[in-house]
Amino acid sequence: MRSPARRTTWAIALSATLFLAACGGGGDEGGGEKSGDPIVVGISLPLTGDFSEPGKGVQEGYEAWAKITNDKGGLLGRQIELKILDDQSNADRVVADYEQLIGSDQVDLVVGPFSTRLVVPSARVAQEYGMLFVEPAGAAAEVFNQGFKNLFYAAPAVADDHYNHLAEHLLALPAGQRPTSVAYAAMDDPFAQGTAYGLKKKLEAGGVKTVVDEVYPPNTTDFGSIAAKIAAAKPDMVVGGSQYQDGVNLIVALQQLNYQPKLAAFSTAPTNPEFAKAIGNKTEGILSPTGYSQDAPYPSNKEFVEKFTAQFGKAPEEDQANGYTTGQVVGAAVQAAGCAEQGECQQKLIDWLHSNTVDTVVGSLKWDATGKPQGAHMIQQWIGNDIKIVLPADAKEADMVYPKPAW
Amino acid sequence: MPSGALLLQSIILGLLLGGLYALLAAGLTLYFGIMRVVMIAHSAFLILAAYLAWWTNDRLGIDPLLSMVVTVPLFFGAGVLLQRGLLSRLRPVTLTMMSVLITFAIALIIEGLLGYVFSGTQRRIQLGYGTESFNLFGARVAVVKLIAFALAAVSLAGLYVLMKRTQFGWALRATIQHPDAARLVGIDTERTAGFGFGLGLATAAVGGTALSLDTTIYPSLHWHWIGPLMAIIVVGGLGSVPGAAAAALVLGLAQSLLQIPMGATWAQTVFYVALFATLAVRPQGFFGGRLAQRF
Amino acid sequence: MLIAAILVFPSLAPNPYILSSGVIVLNWAVLATAWNFVGGFTGYISLGHGALAGLGGYATGLLITKAGIPSFVALILAAVLVAALAVPIGFAALRVRGASFVIVSIALVLILLLVFQSWSSVTGGSRGLVVPRPFPGMLRPEHHRAFFFLYGGLLILALATWWLLDRSRFGMGLKAIREDEDKAESLGTPTFAYKLTVFVVSTAFTALAGGLYALWFGDLDPVFQFSVLTGSYIVLMALLGGVRNLFGPVLGAIVVGIALEYFKVEFGSTPLHLVTTGLLLGLVVMFMPDGVIPSVTGLAQRLRKREQSSIREFTAADLAEQRKRDREGATS
Repeated sequence: MRSPARRTTWAIALSATLFLAACGGGGDEGGGEKSGDPIVVGISLPLTGDFSEPGKGVQEGYEAWAKITNDKGGLLGRQIELKILDDQSNADRVVADYEQLIGSDQVDLVVGPFSTRLVVPSARVAQEYGMLFVEPAGAAAEVFNQGFKNLFYAAPAVADDHYNHLAEHLLALPAGQRPTSVAYAAMDDPFAQGTAYGLKKKLEAGGVKTVVDEVYPPNTTDFGSIAAKIAAAKPDMVVGGSQYQDGVNLIVALQQLNYQPKLAAFSTAPTNPEFAKAIGNKTEGILSPTGYSQDAPYPSNKEFVEKFTAQFGKAPEEDQANGYTTGQVVGAAVQAAGCAEQGECQQKLIDWLHSNTVDTVVGSLKWDATGKPQGAHMIQQWIGNDIKIVLPADAKEADMVYPKPAW
Repeated sequence: MPSGALLLQSIILGLLLGGLYALLAAGLTLYFGIMRVVMIAHSAFLILAAYLAWWTNDRLGIDPLLSMVVTVPLFFGAGVLLQRGLLSRLRPVTLTMMSVLITFAIALIIEGLLGYVFSGTQRRIQLGYGTESFNLFGARVAVVKLIAFALAAVSLAGLYVLMKRTQFGWALRATIQHPDAARLVGIDTERTAGFGFGLGLATAAVGGTALSLDTTIYPSLHWHWIGPLMAIIVVGGLGSVPGAAAAALVLGLAQSLLQIPMGATWAQTVFYVALFATLAVRPQGFFGGRLAQRF
Repeated sequence: MLIAAILVFPSLAPNPYILSSGVIVLNWAVLATAWNFVGGFTGYISLGHGALAGLGGYATGLLITKAGIPSFVALILAAVLVAALAVPIGFAALRVRGASFVIVSIALVLILLLVFQSWSSVTGGSRGLVVPRPFPGMLRPEHHRAFFFLYGGLLILALATWWLLDRSRFGMGLKAIREDEDKAESLGTPTFAYKLTVFVVSTAFTALAGGLYALWFGDLDPVFQFSVLTGSYIVLMALLGGVRNLFGPVLGAIVVGIALEYFKVEFGSTPLHLVTTGLLLGLVVMFMPDGVIPSVTGLAQRLRKREQSSIREFTAADLAEQRKRDREGATS
């Protein structure tokens, strides 16, 4: 008994030493801050798993930003180099990734991952290393009440404010036309639920009755029973707090039950390029909030759409724009502060962003002390075979169709 | 109080779901009957078949149902190989435990390969008739769900006929009931056991195709199936095919009805509550025969 | 030797990332050793220990956030609570043998996942739970170092307990269950009480490791706290290292844990992790069901004493080895 035990102990010691040797060598290559060196930007993104679809979109946005900036001579005369790790949509991984990027790879800057669930843990890593953290996807309220001082959300509005224009519009309708009952179904995800509940709060305050309120976990695949409940309650309007596939599934399940609401609003899913095909082109009248439009008149947007299309052979969507915007925000801070490395520089970047406004492809952004942006989303609607901006009035491409035609 | 229409709708949805559960649980029961093996990878094969059906439709543009022409024989062969190549080589003393680990490992491998080949993105077959439905006493029955149910029902009936009416079914039942005696009367139990496994896995191929018609699939989905299925076979009494089918219908219906007051997530717990209750009150299951008592 | 390695490692670690990987590996080592109380002594294979760790983590986090209990008091209290919960779980799970036990252990993971996802008013649901830092204001590298030592202490405690059990009458009774439960029972061993007791001990250590992880990591998400994969990694580690050996699970944890981190750094995270884990688990089960250490030492012995190595039946060798072991255990 004793001798195998001792042998094991040796084996443990040996393997631990080997581990040290194996990992110690590759540790500090990213150091050294000469001005000719590239600026290395560390990113962890969900390239596989639940959020791989939007994750890849954000990745393209980052890549477009790096390429467009580098073609113009880089930042502070230094080229931008992206170091992207895959976090499998997994909170354990995302923390280990940023730990590795900051501690081991010694990247100069870090920017955020996708999905609110992953933003909070990764922002904490960045905070504890004293790094600036601009992120493209943490839109839910709880991101901003964690007391982060280093976090900035690079988009026009947080989730709860996405439907503000729609709520105002509906409540301004004459009493006879206003929808009187609404069904809500939301994924148990801070972002998706935030959009639906933001609208719910405003409509309830305006006297519109809630008849169904369902929350489902992210891995739900069978929407038959949720749809059955909604269809049985026969509300005027259905609101889906969805990501992508869940929104598609819910719409298909509702259509299988032949339920025809006067208004249907779903977050995220309807703006996806695959959406129409996924629900068999029965898209008529579906509403969706969006933070980005290719036709938006902001100065840098035209360049972005043009060069992005040239680089990827397709026009950018909201996820891509979010990634690009994040790059623009970090880039502006770096230009203004005149530095990009770990250490004191990070605090300069943070201070600059807290007191300035940045022009981006989604408009001018500024933040409050918690890093929350101050704005609202546009509302789009599927009309014919195209999705068009219908709200707010000053940006609309078409008039809102209400009540919506049958799907 | 839920309306009558909603109740009827839920009952129909529950029966349609229960049919699929019954087919899959029948496969699991078959393995257990033959070798006392709990086949964790059963639902991984289910998802694999669903992916193959999706792929057939997405890449080749043909109806997903046609993929069964390939997947059913393929899975049958895989089942025979699995039994002959791996499970029958385990030490008999630790067979039950180790077979769980082996099939668990296979499930991980399948999940990993699916993720590697098709990525973790959720997939769904886009069918022309995907949103079609018809009216039945005021409830809506989706065409795709009905096709899935019909597939399950036909396969179960086929399985029943095969077990009761054919020479092979006779040999298989003999092998399940008393392998030593079966050998004595001249049945090649090894071969029969292998074919039995193939048959079990073929149910996964049919089930997967049925599943793919109306659900989103992703590689780790199989965990959400194996839990309810294992609960079903324990409640039904390990090793009893009719028991598993009855438990599947009852629990599928219960899940669907409980969704009305409890919501989708809590309703799923009915399987595990039933599982723990069965083990605490009646470990041999509610429909189980002689076999179950030993495990 | 092990103590020395634990003491020295943090000062040798070239950067905080390596140190954080060290914490993760130690976490695995504690989990695998805790698992081995059940797996090694009784032969009952639980795939659900990942869920017990997750339960410990959530209990710790909830006691801190909802009840305002200080971090480390909450950790101990959580372990006690989870261990108490293990009594009814064990009561249902251990009544049945073999297959049903594994089914129950997997079902435990799935049901806890459902409950913690759905009961969002208490657990935070899919949004997860944020556990406050036990050492506020501490910088990350220091934080890692502190937890490395905490985990090291817990590991040594777990190993010492296992060692003591291994030499006790109680341990003998448990091993008898592993070899032949019916015979053990007929010889008057209170098998059910023994199994239940050791299951509770195992759960307590698992919950401690899970709670410590919650304090260290800070964010709990039900999908990862109640993952079947965690349990399978634990089983792989313990089986790979050898379940009948005090240090087996630790060795397995170091090998598998380092391999996991290494593959992540080199190849990023791909689903091939799953494939590799599955293949390794399959190979171990098929060819080395007693673990690598016994297999390798067995092979070494056979090579050394070639004269003895006539044709051997697998089970006979097992029995001989077992008899030798039991004799040793009895005399020491």
